[in-house]
Amino acid sequence: MKTLARAPRILLASAALLLGVMYAAPLWSIHLIAPQYPEGLGLLIRLNTITGVKEHDLESINGLNHYIGMRPILPSAIPELRYMPWIVAVLIVAGLLASVVGRRRLLVAWVVAVAATSVAGMYDFWRWGYDYGHNLDANQAIIVVPGMSYQPPLIGSKQLLNFHATSMPHLGAIAGGLAFLLGVVAIYLAYRGNARHRSAAGVLATAAIACAAPVHAIAFGVESCAECRMLVSDSRFGAQLVTKTGKTITFDSIACLHAYMVRTGATGETWVVDARHPGTLIAEKSAQILADSATHPPMGNLYAVAR
Amino acid sequence: MQRSHLKRLTMFVAPVIAGAVLYSCRTTAPTLTTGDAPSKVYVAPGQYDEFYAFMSGGYNGQVSVYGLPSGRMLKLIPVFSQHAENGWGYNEESKPMFQTSHGFIPWDDTHHAELSQTNGIPDGRWLFINGNNTPRVARIDLTRFETEEILELPNAAGGHAAPFTTPNTKYIVSATRFSVPIPNADVPIADYKKSFKGTISFIRADVPGQMDVAFQILMPGFNYDLGHSGKGPSDGWFFFTSYNSEQAYTKLEANASKNDKDFVAAVHYAKAEECVAAGKAKPFPSKYAHNFVDEKSRIAKSEMKTSVLMLDPKDCPGLVYYLPTPKSPHGVDIDPTGEYIVAGGKLASVIPVHSFSKMIKAIADKAFETEIEGIPVLKYDAVIAGEVQKPGLGPLHTEFDGKGYAYTSMFISSEIVKWKLGTWEVVDRVPTYYSIGHLMIPGGDSKQPFGKYVVAMNKITKDRYLPTGAELTQSAQLYDISGDKMKLLLDFPTIGEPHYAQALPASIIKDKQVKFFSLKDNANPYVARSEAETGIKRSGKRVDVRMIAIRSHFAPDNIEGVQQGDTVYFHVTNIEQDWDILHGFAVMGAENAELIMQPGETRTLRWIPKNANIYPFYCTDFCSALHQEMQGYVRVSPANKIVALSATISKKSQSQLDRMKAAQGGTR
Repeated sequence: MKTLARAPRILLASAALLLGVMYAAPLWSIHLIAPQYPEGLGLLIRLNTITGVKEHDLESINGLNHYIGMRPILPSAIPELRYMPWIVAVLIVAGLLASVVGRRRLLVAWVVAVAATSVAGMYDFWRWGYDYGHNLDANQAIIVVPGMSYQPPLIGSKQLLNFHATSMPHLGAIAGGLAFLLGVVAIYLAYRGNARHRSAAGVLATAAIACAAPVHAIAFGVESCAECRMLVSDSRFGAQLVTKTGKTITFDSIACLHAYMVRTGATGETWVVDARHPGTLIAEKSAQILADSATHPPMGNLYAVAR
Repeated sequence: MQRSHLKRLTMFVAPVIAGAVLYSCRTTAPTLTTGDAPSKVYVAPGQYDEFYAFMSGGYNGQVSVYGLPSGRMLKLIPVFSQHAENGWGYNEESKPMFQTSHGFIPWDDTHHAELSQTNGIPDGRWLFINGNNTPRVARIDLTRFETEEILELPNAAGGHAAPFTTPNTKYIVSATRFSVPIPNADVPIADYKKSFKGTISFIRADVPGQMDVAFQILMPGFNYDLGHSGKGPSDGWFFFTSYNSEQAYTKLEANASKNDKDFVAAVHYAKAEECVAAGKAKPFPSKYAHNFVDEKSRIAKSEMKTSVLMLDPKDCPGLVYYLPTPKSPHGVDIDPTGEYIVAGGKLASVIPVHSFSKMIKAIADKAFETEIEGIPVLKYDAVIAGEVQKPGLGPLHTEFDGKGYAYTSMFISSEIVKWKLGTWEVVDRVPTYYSIGHLMIPGGDSKQPFGKYVVAMNKITKDRYLPTGAELTQSAQLYDISGDKMKLLLDFPTIGEPHYAQALPASIIKDKQVKFFSLKDNANPYVARSEAETGIKRSGKRVDVRMIAIRSHFAPDNIEGVQQGDTVYFHVTNIEQDWDILHGFAVMGAENAELIMQPGETRTLRWIPKNANIYPFYCTDFCSALHQEMQGYVRVSPANKIVALSATISKKSQSQLDRMKAAQGGTR
């Protein structure tokens, strides 16, 4: 059994302590902007509760959600919010203990535990989002749009009727991610003498960074089409061109995307909205392009679905 | 070694930056650039606006007048709400205007301003406005900008679908937003389906002072929301939206939103006239007030009427048809040609447009889906001309520019959408700030829209102006619609809560304005045309003071002999015969408002003095250089102390008069 050098021990202890930020700062935020809410409404998902960004935002959001038949978001009805502080406490104590004991395998086990907890936590968060966004009470709903669900993405933006919802990790989650990365660096330092282990650690570190890559999102109801100049309002359609210089250009339809490329000679990565998952952009090369006027895409009759 | 440090640093920093980037990329409200907008709304000092716009005041119960394109407010016309500012509803002359079958009602909720028409075009004779709460309609004379007539509507609750006009203002209409038992009675609310009915009133409106319910149509117990008259080929028909075909009576927001389709009710009122003439309408005992201003005396009179003619569609086949219309339709608007009937379904995903000619054919073909209480429901496919696809969220109201385009307000997505009649394609859209209700194009619901601008009247103001606490002014936007694309020109605050508005070119009414009322024709029984006619008279406990106001004194201005327990009536005549020279009159401690007297007008303040005291009175409208001298005193004595009645001019006023005479014509 290998004992750890001083540097990885300090990193591990720092990583464990960094998790403490989760008690003070929110983990995740969901921001909602609509024409009549220029100041926006927002939710902060904390380790033990859900609050509004402003004092009464949660009540306001619940008030608005009743129009679509969504049941009220009540922190007391989400049992995970009671367990989470204890789980993180266990991780902090375990991390500090592992740092004192100084065993390499304990370090690895701790980092794996942090990663597993994060993935499980995000999955659980997504599942609650799915549940709220899909299980609508049709009897209570006032606005019923067939096929429409109201789940914000885990990370990124989506147009939900008149609201543009943006979901992002907040400081708590960023601190958690940073703790994980510190752990990865500690592992890297602990194993760097060994070529085999080094490459594994390198892969892990690269993967961790790749997780934070930016996402594409169209601000429906806000952005206008670069070709036809109309507002991009229907989240079932839309497309983006990411040019070679990294500029993102938004269109309301695939027809406009192509018309623009032909007209201007621009090239780059093309992204299209998956009509079955409104608001979700997929690479055009991984999409199946269908033609049907009855679906009423703006400009022409093309729309995309994931292959 | 250096490189390795750098690498490590990158590993720490990269996720933090990524997180920060993600966190900061939220959308913010768009800001605007206006280009040449300032020159398009700038009305130079001394110049006039191009249009008069009349906006309902919503819950202030009044009408406000704005100039377009400047957005400057020109006047508030008091209608249904007492207005202490000029004594409307407080002075004796105007109090009868507030009478209803429920007694004196000091307030109402105005929704829809409607200009009178000749051949389907606004003519500037009158403006009509509805009272929504205690159903009433009012006529405002547009040479005086004053409310001249108010008619209460019996057998009605929530006079929302009012006061829309027929093309020559033979009738204006009012339909019920609430259904209620007719005649109204004490019934269990749960008996809604059995007992509750709606009514549509056709009001004869073309003779001032003689507005009356021509007939009422008894309708199924839905909510009747808005209406518009047919024109051209559809002349003789009137169209009303109706929602709550579910007949819910509790939690309507959900329970009245269940049916996929509600209705537009097409009422063939030319047919109704035939049926009424044939004696098919039954006299229906109904108590309702009719109040109007007598033109000579400018004193309002109130009369209580006792009966209306009620027409049941069962007794008059061919009178009403229902056109299925998606999802709780709100506005119903007829295009300038009279062929298209556009309905805005609050919760609908399309804007349905019905065709009048298809409707006539469907009636001839008996293309009926079903029948509701004897009213045939036409087949949707047999009447629909087209649907505007993906217009936005929450379509409400549509106006027309006369160039083949329609403009629809979208409440939820907060925008105006321009679309083409016939092809139903959306050609332009602009955001509004925020949550637009009605929109208005000058003449935009008429046969010949004047066009040029569209005004958005919004329900939410939020951050548009300097904040003023929790309650904000309402917000309107003006857009230029002369080109292909709508262009935002101006934001301007509005008062009350304007629902609908109408506008017409200033030239139609500007030169017809009354500048003063002829003193010689003043038929108020207490008029004093000169100082010689002033005086004081006691009849028991009632004391009448006839007084004149002229720059810069009242006569009399020293009044004695009033006793505790008396009721004093100050009848003050402004004897000026000059434009914009108004006087006011206010008495200390009066549990009443002030008087404002227009030139040549007599107004009466009722006052019950409480204490044996001296009470000063003065002119409240800054009228002249010696306005501060325009004052007087009333002496009130105990009931048991006899003081001779006297009404005199004080020495001060007398000397002032002498000075004025000496100056030959005087100073102002």
